[in-house]
Amino acid sequence: MKRSKRTVLGILRGLGLAFYLALAIFPLLWIFITSIKPPEEVYTFPIKYWPSKITWDSYEYLFGFAKFGRYFLNSIFVSITASVVSTIIALFSGYVLARMRFKGKYFFVVFLFFVQMIPAYLLMIPQYSMFSSFGLINRLSGIILVYIGLGAAFSTIMARGFFVRIPVSLEESALMDGCTRLKALFKVTLPLMLPGVAAIFSFSFVQNWNEIFTAALFLNSDSKMTVPVALYSFISKAGIQWNVLAAGIVVSLIPTIVVFAFAQKYIVAGLTKGSVKE
Amino acid sequence: MKNRKKFWFIFWMLVPVFSVIGFLSVYPTIKGFILAFQNYTVFTFNRIKFIGWDNFVEILSDPDFLMILWNTVIWIIVSVFFQLLLGLGLALLLRKPFKGRGLYSGLVFYPWALSGFAIGLLWSWLLNGQFGIINDILIKLNVIQEGIQFLSNPDTAMLSVLIVNIWYGIPFFAIMSLAALQSIPDSVYEAADIDGASGWAKLVKITLPYIRPTIISTVLVRSIWIMNFPDVIYGMTRGGPAKSTEILSTYMINIVYYENNYSKASAVGVIVILLLLVYTILYLRFSGQGEMEL
Repeated sequence: MKRSKRTVLGILRGLGLAFYLALAIFPLLWIFITSIKPPEEVYTFPIKYWPSKITWDSYEYLFGFAKFGRYFLNSIFVSITASVVSTIIALFSGYVLARMRFKGKYFFVVFLFFVQMIPAYLLMIPQYSMFSSFGLINRLSGIILVYIGLGAAFSTIMARGFFVRIPVSLEESALMDGCTRLKALFKVTLPLMLPGVAAIFSFSFVQNWNEIFTAALFLNSDSKMTVPVALYSFISKAGIQWNVLAAGIVVSLIPTIVVFAFAQKYIVAGLTKGSVKE
Repeated sequence: MKNRKKFWFIFWMLVPVFSVIGFLSVYPTIKGFILAFQNYTVFTFNRIKFIGWDNFVEILSDPDFLMILWNTVIWIIVSVFFQLLLGLGLALLLRKPFKGRGLYSGLVFYPWALSGFAIGLLWSWLLNGQFGIINDILIKLNVIQEGIQFLSNPDTAMLSVLIVNIWYGIPFFAIMSLAALQSIPDSVYEAADIDGASGWAKLVKITLPYIRPTIISTVLVRSIWIMNFPDVIYGMTRGGPAKSTEILSTYMINIVYYENNYSKASAVGVIVILLLLVYTILYLRFSGQGEMEL
């Protein structure tokens, strides 16, 4: 009796797991299939579940005529530069806010908690008006600056969360041996901080790669667009085929999937231990 | 001497982040409040002047504004409720180890990292009224006779964007719930087993009460995030048709992109910030500052 109940529960659990897996995989699988169909098989009803002939024409069109390679490189450049900078400066401030005792520390931390809640789209208009007077509109450097600002507060909160969990004792003995604080930070603590660095960087990268609203407002020339802006401009253009758009979507999703695949462990740690966001 | 050295160390370590935040978050926020009382549009950018409360009056007298507020509330509550329910369900399935659990969780958690806008586009193809696979499946299952225009019909548009947003948010809640579940010591369950507790009793009497504090604080913080997450809607409907999926954030973005009225959009931004502030103060009161791990 007991045994059969356990088997039933096991089957139910397996069904549950299969349900979630199908739910997560199916949309992406379908958009991929759409992207490798010949155009005439995209617009048919009832639907063809598998193309009669697999074709990579959509990707060729995407990277050839639609110059998606340019946008992809722009996005890579912008996302990586901004993430590296915000990770580095967040490590400095996160360290101080985790390790040092000083007046006003509590204020700084609460302040960061508030700032990280302000979403990008609320800041984009004042930033637009500021950046126009500096000539930073329609430049990748401008959007990089915006993204550094966007990630700074939350990256600091995360860095602080990771630093707090590294024992102070190692650092203290290095300080006793006559190391300067900065040297102790780089030589002793930072190597232990690598999972934290991976988490902060990956978070920041994902956020930057996916940001669309500020980028769409700031980057208006064809050669400066990032991937989300390019997708957005595709749908406003009449006559874009769904097989090409599907290819664009697939390409735009790959980088963050790759980052997630490699950094899942650290991202999960950052999500659950660092703080509560995203 | 030592104190002064310490002061400068702290100072220089904090300067980069706080000057970035000052320049790119604090100053723009203040400037946003100022812009909200001006007439900054694409057409007046060299003749900007103060116009008092005009922008706010225009927004509050917009006949659709109440509906937009209502949509925002629905958007937050329905999304959070089902994201939590389904996320918690997934976490419960993942609690006990099994072969390939690491790979499996990667395959179900990955939507967390995807672009909300691209996901919106992707699903708008799946839900396409003419060539969408969802319609195809529903017809084959005899649920419907002909394709539904999910996104161009105001009656189904909100439901559609909600379903996609729920799909998108399941991994986040699953990750958070799983971490909370894994913090429950095994000994608690062992004790319950000795007492002969059923699986259901264990869930209701041990698991749920144990993870309640984590769940509550996650829900409260995530609600703000969802309110400010127009990406999925923008990829699917841009707030349409007939503003049936318009929430405060898409409303503001549409004013920027299509009316090019930056001051009016700033006024919407001010309203959003005030709502956020009230909500945050209530949240801090309610949850106690201990939650922030200060």
